[in-house]
Amino acid sequence: MLPTITVDYEKCNDPLSCRKCLLVCPTHVLGLGTRVGPRKFKEIDPDQFIVDGVRFEKCTVCMDCVSICPKSAIQVSF
Amino acid sequence: MCVWCERYAEGYERWYFNPANYARKLYKIRRDEGPEIQPNPVVAGGMALIDRNYVEALDRKDHEAIAKLRHDVEQLAWKVHFGQVVTLEDTLKVIDIIYPIALMTCACRRSMLGLPDEENFTCMGMGPGMYKWERWPETYRGGIQFLTPDEARDAVTKMNKRGLVQTLFTFGTPYIGGICNCDYPDCSAIRTTIDYGIQFLWKGHHIARVDNELCNGCASCIHRCQFKALSFSATQNKAYIDPFQCFGCGLCATECPQDAITMVERTSMPALANVW
Repeated sequence: MLPTITVDYEKCNDPLSCRKCLLVCPTHVLGLGTRVGPRKFKEIDPDQFIVDGVRFEKCTVCMDCVSICPKSAIQVSF
Repeated sequence: MCVWCERYAEGYERWYFNPANYARKLYKIRRDEGPEIQPNPVVAGGMALIDRNYVEALDRKDHEAIAKLRHDVEQLAWKVHFGQVVTLEDTLKVIDIIYPIALMTCACRRSMLGLPDEENFTCMGMGPGMYKWERWPETYRGGIQFLTPDEARDAVTKMNKRGLVQTLFTFGTPYIGGICNCDYPDCSAIRTTIDYGIQFLWKGHHIARVDNELCNGCASCIHRCQFKALSFSATQNKAYIDPFQCFGCGLCATECPQDAITMVERTSMPALANVW
């Protein structure tokens, strides 16, 4: 059984400068990525960056990311 | 024997000492532009080849599915982009044969921690690809800083001192384009290899051995291992290294004040010669 992690990308609109959840996660479960693939010669707009669950097997459902998120954008269920 | 040496060493002692493996063509015929890559946060999350399917297969112990997914991922990685652990000594030799060389930002730490570019110059790129990197900083975030060979040697030595493992990565095998300086848990390659059992990072050509006569139990080495191979025997008051788990990076050896840990050739131990 694995936890499910949902991030509301509308609420979480600038994870690159916030990154509180990335730093608080004890097992580095979350990943920072973008909503677009790599595009040659184009800078990716900061609001295209997203955070999401990646390494689910290491998630202990401690809820630290949920409580630290200033936008209440993260939900973790088990 | 190391399969990469068998295929690509061409008479050199190891495949990564062969200068031809750093001479990737700068210009290639462009492929037709395929469909635009679909948004995929997992892909962008620093573990490009593994998604939730694999984690779920591991979770329900579906050995058949695990074996298939692992096989597919490994075949693709070995063709395009995989790494091998190297000792500091070998890394310094590699720096002698490559040009140009530049510091750049680490993509893994960006995706794991969102580390800002200015704190993230722990990767080294080499070869003609660096000119591309320099020219288009908006594509390859953070830009690059070109280094002289002396500066490059100094930089890897400092990163080794800091506790980062040196690894070489291919960009279109057999072309080696990067010296990464990695640690658990923020290196995707180490995590994929250690946590998921996918051989994205190959063990190096050496094995660390502890001389129990010389080891005085000071435990200075304990924090140096990034591969869960080194522990401390409370009973014997000595460092304990599992040779089958050792990746041969040499970080424990460079830290030992008693010189009690030596790096020996993997091939010198028959049962380890094919453990990569």
